Amino acid sequence: MFKLSELVRWLGLTEFEILVNLCGLLVFTITLAIKLSGENAGNSLGGLNGMQQEPTEDWFTIFSPLFFIDICNAYFCVIVGIRMYLDSDNKRKALHRFMWSTYFLVLIVIFKYLLCLKLSSKMGLEYSEVFSPIFVLLQLVAVRACQLPNSI
Amino acid sequence: MTLAHRALFTWFIVLVFFILLCLRLEPRTNWNWFVTFTPLWIFDVIIIIYVIIKFIRKWRNLSRLTDLLFLYKWNIAGVLLTIASQVMICLRLEYPHQIPIYVTIAPLILLLSTAIFYVGSHLGKREGWLQ
Repeated sequence: MFKLSELVRWLGLTEFEILVNLCGLLVFTITLAIKLSGENAGNSLGGLNGMQQEPTEDWFTIFSPLFFIDICNAYFCVIVGIRMYLDSDNKRKALHRFMWSTYFLVLIVIFKYLLCLKLSSKMGLEYSEVFSPIFVLLQLVAVRACQLPNSI
Repeated sequence: MTLAHRALFTWFIVLVFFILLCLRLEPRTNWNWFVTFTPLWIFDVIIIIYVIIKFIRKWRNLSRLTDLLFLYKWNIAGVLLTIASQVMICLRLEYPHQIPIYVTIAPLILLLSTAIFYVGSHLGKREGWLQ
Protein backbone atom coordinates (compact mmCIF):
# COMPACT_ATOMS: atom_id res chain seq x y z
CA MET A 1 0.00 0.00 0.00
CA PHE A 2 2.90 2.33 0.77
CA LYS A 3 6.25 2.71 -0.91
CA LEU A 4 9.23 3.01 1.39
CA SER A 5 9.73 6.63 0.40
CA GLU A 6 6.10 7.39 1.27
CA LEU A 7 6.49 5.81 4.70
CA VAL A 8 9.65 7.85 5.28
CA ARG A 9 7.75 10.99 4.34
CA TRP A 10 4.73 10.20 6.50
CA LEU A 11 6.37 8.86 9.65
CA GLY A 12 9.39 11.17 9.57
CA LEU A 13 11.77 8.26 10.11
CA THR A 14 14.74 7.70 7.83
CA GLU A 15 15.29 4.37 6.05
CA PHE A 16 18.20 3.66 8.38
CA GLU A 17 16.00 4.12 11.46
CA ILE A 18 13.36 1.81 9.95
CA LEU A 19 16.07 -0.80 9.28
CA VAL A 20 17.39 -0.57 12.85
CA ASN A 21 13.85 -0.85 14.24
CA LEU A 22 13.16 -3.94 12.11
CA CYS A 23 16.41 -5.60 13.25
CA GLY A 24 15.53 -4.89 16.89
CA LEU A 25 12.03 -6.26 16.40
CA LEU A 26 13.45 -9.45 14.90
CA VAL A 27 15.78 -10.02 17.86
CA PHE A 28 12.95 -9.17 20.29
CA THR A 29 10.63 -11.69 18.61
CA ILE A 30 13.24 -14.41 18.99
CA THR A 31 13.93 -13.60 22.68
CA LEU A 32 10.18 -13.45 23.37
CA ALA A 33 9.72 -16.86 21.76
CA ILE A 34 12.55 -18.30 23.87
CA LYS A 35 10.98 -16.87 27.03
CA LEU A 36 7.50 -18.14 26.19
CA SER A 37 8.74 -21.62 25.29
CA GLY A 38 10.75 -21.69 28.54
CA GLU A 39 7.66 -20.68 30.52
CA ASN A 40 5.58 -23.37 28.83
CA ALA A 41 8.20 -26.00 29.60
CA GLY A 42 8.48 -24.66 33.17
CA ASN A 43 4.71 -24.78 33.68
CA SER A 44 4.44 -28.32 32.39
CA LEU A 45 7.38 -29.44 34.54
CA GLY A 46 5.97 -27.53 37.52
CA GLY A 47 2.62 -29.14 36.92
CA LEU A 48 4.23 -32.55 36.90
CA ASN A 49 6.21 -31.89 40.09
CA GLY A 50 3.30 -30.13 41.76
CA MET A 51 5.06 -26.76 42.00
CA GLN A 52 5.39 -23.61 39.91
CA GLN A 53 8.82 -22.92 38.43
CA GLU A 54 10.22 -19.39 38.67
CA PRO A 55 10.59 -17.58 35.32
CA THR A 56 14.24 -17.49 34.30
CA GLU A 57 14.33 -14.08 32.56
CA ASP A 58 13.00 -10.73 33.60
CA TRP A 59 10.72 -8.83 31.16
CA PHE A 60 13.27 -6.01 31.03
CA THR A 61 15.83 -8.50 29.71
CA ILE A 62 13.39 -9.61 27.03
CA PHE A 63 12.71 -6.01 26.04
CA SER A 64 16.42 -5.07 26.08
CA PRO A 65 16.85 -5.32 22.25
CA LEU A 66 14.06 -2.77 21.83
CA PHE A 67 15.60 -0.42 24.42
CA PHE A 68 18.98 -0.86 22.74
CA ILE A 69 17.64 0.17 19.32
CA ASP A 70 16.00 3.19 20.94
CA ILE A 71 19.40 4.23 22.30
CA CYS A 72 20.93 3.72 18.83
CA ASN A 73 18.15 5.74 17.20
CA ALA A 74 18.48 8.51 19.80
CA TYR A 75 22.24 8.72 19.11
CA PHE A 76 21.57 8.79 15.35
CA CYS A 77 18.93 11.51 15.74
CA VAL A 78 21.21 13.68 17.87
CA ILE A 79 24.02 13.40 15.30
CA VAL A 80 21.66 14.13 12.39
CA GLY A 81 20.06 17.00 14.34
CA ILE A 82 23.41 18.66 15.11
CA ARG A 83 24.70 18.23 11.55
CA MET A 84 21.47 19.54 10.04
CA TYR A 85 21.51 22.54 12.38
CA LEU A 86 25.14 23.38 11.57
CA ASP A 87 25.12 22.66 7.82
CA SER A 88 21.66 23.71 6.75
CA ASP A 89 20.50 27.27 6.20
CA ASN A 90 17.04 26.27 7.34
CA LYS A 91 17.58 25.97 11.11
CA ARG A 92 13.85 25.77 11.70
CA LYS A 93 13.58 22.58 9.65
CA ALA A 94 16.46 21.01 11.58
CA LEU A 95 14.76 21.85 14.88
CA HIS A 96 11.44 20.47 13.63
CA ARG A 97 13.07 17.18 12.66
CA PHE A 98 14.88 16.91 15.96
CA MET A 99 11.72 17.65 17.95
CA TRP A 100 9.68 15.07 16.00
CA SER A 101 12.34 12.37 16.53
CA THR A 102 12.47 13.23 20.23
CA TYR A 103 8.67 12.98 20.63
CA PHE A 104 8.61 9.70 18.75
CA LEU A 105 11.42 8.09 20.72
CA VAL A 106 10.27 9.33 24.13
CA LEU A 107 6.69 8.13 23.64
CA ILE A 108 7.82 4.73 22.37
CA VAL A 109 10.26 4.30 25.28
CA ILE A 110 7.58 5.28 27.83
CA PHE A 111 5.20 2.73 26.30
CA LYS A 112 7.78 -0.06 26.44
CA TYR A 113 8.74 0.82 30.02
CA LEU A 114 5.11 0.83 31.17
CA LEU A 115 4.48 -2.46 29.35
CA CYS A 116 7.49 -4.04 31.07
CA LEU A 117 6.22 -2.84 34.46
CA LYS A 118 2.74 -4.14 33.72
CA LEU A 119 4.00 -7.55 32.58
CA SER A 120 6.30 -7.80 35.60
CA SER A 121 3.26 -6.99 37.82
CA LYS A 122 5.20 -4.22 39.52
CA MET A 123 2.48 -1.60 39.02
CA GLY A 124 -1.28 -1.89 39.08
CA LEU A 125 -1.76 -0.03 35.82
CA GLU A 126 -4.58 -0.77 33.40
CA TYR A 127 -3.77 -1.56 29.78
CA SER A 128 -5.48 1.64 28.61
CA GLU A 129 -2.95 3.59 30.73
CA VAL A 130 -0.07 1.52 29.38
CA PHE A 131 -1.18 2.24 25.80
CA SER A 132 -1.71 5.98 26.41
CA PRO A 133 1.72 7.01 24.93
CA ILE A 134 0.81 5.07 21.78
CA PHE A 135 -2.49 6.94 21.51
CA VAL A 136 -0.67 10.27 21.90
CA LEU A 137 1.79 9.19 19.23
CA LEU A 138 -1.08 8.19 16.94
CA GLN A 139 -2.53 11.69 17.28
CA LEU A 140 0.81 13.19 16.26
CA VAL A 141 1.02 10.77 13.32
CA ALA A 142 -2.49 11.81 12.27
CA VAL A 143 -1.42 15.46 12.29
CA ARG A 144 1.54 14.55 10.07
CA ALA A 145 -0.79 12.65 7.72
CA CYS A 146 -2.97 15.76 7.39
CA GLN A 147 0.11 17.83 6.51
CA LEU A 148 1.00 15.57 3.57
CA PRO A 149 0.45 17.16 0.14
CA ASN A 150 -2.63 16.03 -1.75
CA SER A 151 -0.82 15.77 -5.08
CA ILE A 152 1.11 12.54 -4.37
CA MET B 1 -6.05 7.50 -3.52
CA THR B 2 -3.45 10.07 -2.57
CA LEU B 3 -0.82 9.48 0.09
CA ALA B 4 -2.71 11.59 2.64
CA HIS B 5 -5.88 9.49 2.18
CA ARG B 6 -4.00 6.22 2.45
CA ALA B 7 -2.11 7.45 5.52
CA LEU B 8 -5.29 8.60 7.27
CA PHE B 9 -7.07 5.37 6.45
CA THR B 10 -4.16 3.30 7.83
CA TRP B 11 -4.04 5.53 10.90
CA PHE B 12 -7.75 4.95 11.55
CA ILE B 13 -7.39 1.17 11.22
CA VAL B 14 -4.42 1.12 13.62
CA LEU B 15 -6.28 3.34 16.11
CA VAL B 16 -9.35 1.06 16.14
CA PHE B 17 -7.11 -1.99 16.50
CA PHE B 18 -5.31 -0.54 19.52
CA ILE B 19 -8.61 0.40 21.16
CA LEU B 20 -9.93 -3.14 20.66
CA LEU B 21 -6.64 -4.58 21.91
CA CYS B 22 -6.81 -2.46 25.09
CA LEU B 23 -10.38 -3.61 25.72
CA ARG B 24 -9.51 -7.27 25.07
CA LEU B 25 -6.47 -7.24 27.36
CA GLU B 26 -8.54 -6.08 30.32
CA PRO B 27 -9.80 -9.03 32.39
CA ARG B 28 -13.43 -7.87 32.08
CA THR B 29 -13.73 -8.77 28.39
CA ASN B 30 -13.37 -12.23 26.93
CA TRP B 31 -13.72 -11.75 23.19
CA ASN B 32 -12.37 -14.09 20.59
CA TRP B 33 -8.93 -12.95 19.40
CA PHE B 34 -10.05 -13.20 15.77
CA VAL B 35 -12.73 -10.59 16.55
CA THR B 36 -10.15 -8.34 18.19
CA PHE B 37 -8.08 -8.48 15.03
CA THR B 38 -11.05 -7.45 12.83
CA PRO B 39 -9.59 -4.03 11.79
CA LEU B 40 -6.45 -5.78 10.59
CA TRP B 41 -8.49 -8.31 8.60
CA ILE B 42 -10.34 -5.42 6.93
CA PHE B 43 -7.00 -3.77 6.18
CA ASP B 44 -5.66 -7.04 4.72
CA VAL B 45 -8.68 -7.39 2.42
CA ILE B 46 -8.18 -3.83 1.18
CA ILE B 47 -4.48 -4.45 0.60
CA ILE B 48 -5.30 -7.61 -1.39
CA ILE B 49 -7.74 -5.64 -3.54
CA TYR B 50 -5.09 -2.94 -3.99
CA VAL B 51 -2.47 -5.48 -5.11
CA ILE B 52 -4.96 -7.16 -7.49
CA ILE B 53 -5.81 -3.79 -9.06
CA LYS B 54 -2.08 -3.08 -9.52
CA PHE B 55 -1.72 -6.54 -11.05
CA ILE B 56 -4.56 -6.02 -13.53
CA ARG B 57 -3.34 -2.57 -14.56
CA LYS B 58 0.11 -4.00 -15.33
CA TRP B 59 -1.32 -7.10 -17.04
CA ARG B 60 -1.95 -5.13 -20.26
CA ASN B 61 1.77 -4.45 -20.76
CA LEU B 62 3.19 -7.82 -19.69
CA SER B 63 2.12 -10.96 -21.44
CA ARG B 64 3.67 -13.59 -19.15
CA LEU B 65 2.38 -14.24 -15.68
CA THR B 66 5.87 -15.09 -14.35
CA ASP B 67 7.12 -11.61 -15.29
CA LEU B 68 4.23 -10.09 -13.42
CA LEU B 69 4.78 -12.23 -10.33
CA PHE B 70 8.49 -11.38 -10.37
CA LEU B 71 7.71 -7.66 -10.68
CA TYR B 72 5.43 -7.71 -7.63
CA LYS B 73 7.32 -10.30 -5.59
CA TRP B 74 7.80 -7.98 -2.61
CA ASN B 75 4.12 -6.98 -2.52
CA ILE B 76 2.93 -10.59 -2.77
CA ALA B 77 5.43 -11.85 -0.18
CA GLY B 78 4.56 -9.00 2.20
CA VAL B 79 0.80 -9.54 1.98
CA LEU B 80 0.97 -13.33 2.34
CA LEU B 81 3.43 -13.25 5.23
CA THR B 82 1.45 -10.53 7.04
CA ILE B 83 -1.77 -12.54 6.81
CA ALA B 84 0.01 -15.75 7.86
CA SER B 85 1.59 -13.97 10.85
CA GLN B 86 -1.74 -12.57 12.01
CA VAL B 87 -3.52 -15.89 11.66
CA MET B 88 -0.79 -17.70 13.61
CA ILE B 89 -0.76 -15.07 16.38
CA CYS B 90 -4.56 -15.28 16.70
CA LEU B 91 -4.46 -19.08 16.79
CA ARG B 92 -1.74 -19.06 19.44
CA LEU B 93 -3.61 -16.53 21.60
CA GLU B 94 -6.89 -18.40 21.23
CA TYR B 95 -5.47 -21.91 21.76
CA PRO B 96 -2.30 -21.31 23.79
CA HIS B 97 -1.32 -24.90 24.55
CA GLN B 98 -2.00 -26.48 21.17
CA ILE B 99 0.41 -24.61 18.89
CA PRO B 100 4.16 -24.44 19.61
CA ILE B 101 5.54 -20.91 19.90
CA TYR B 102 8.21 -21.52 17.24
CA VAL B 103 5.51 -22.42 14.69
CA THR B 104 3.63 -19.26 15.67
CA ILE B 105 6.51 -16.88 15.15
CA ALA B 106 7.95 -18.54 12.03
CA PRO B 107 5.89 -16.38 9.56
CA LEU B 108 6.62 -13.28 11.66
CA ILE B 109 10.36 -13.93 11.61
CA LEU B 110 10.19 -14.54 7.87
CA LEU B 111 8.21 -11.31 7.39
CA LEU B 112 10.69 -9.28 9.44
CA SER B 113 13.65 -10.85 7.63
CA THR B 114 12.07 -10.04 4.26
CA ALA B 115 11.39 -6.47 5.37
CA ILE B 116 14.98 -6.08 6.61
CA PHE B 117 16.30 -7.40 3.30
CA TYR B 118 14.00 -5.08 1.33
CA VAL B 119 14.84 -1.93 3.32
CA GLY B 120 18.53 -2.89 3.44
CA SER B 121 18.72 -3.37 -0.32
CA HIS B 122 16.96 -0.02 -0.89
CA LEU B 123 19.35 1.71 1.48
CA GLY B 124 22.33 -0.10 -0.02
CA LYS B 125 21.40 0.93 -3.56
CA ARG B 126 20.86 4.54 -2.51
CA GLU B 127 24.07 4.81 -0.54
CA GLY B 128 26.10 2.86 -3.09
CA TRP B 129 27.00 -0.05 -0.77
CA LEU B 130 25.78 -2.63 -3.27
CA GLN B 131 27.73 -1.54 -6.34
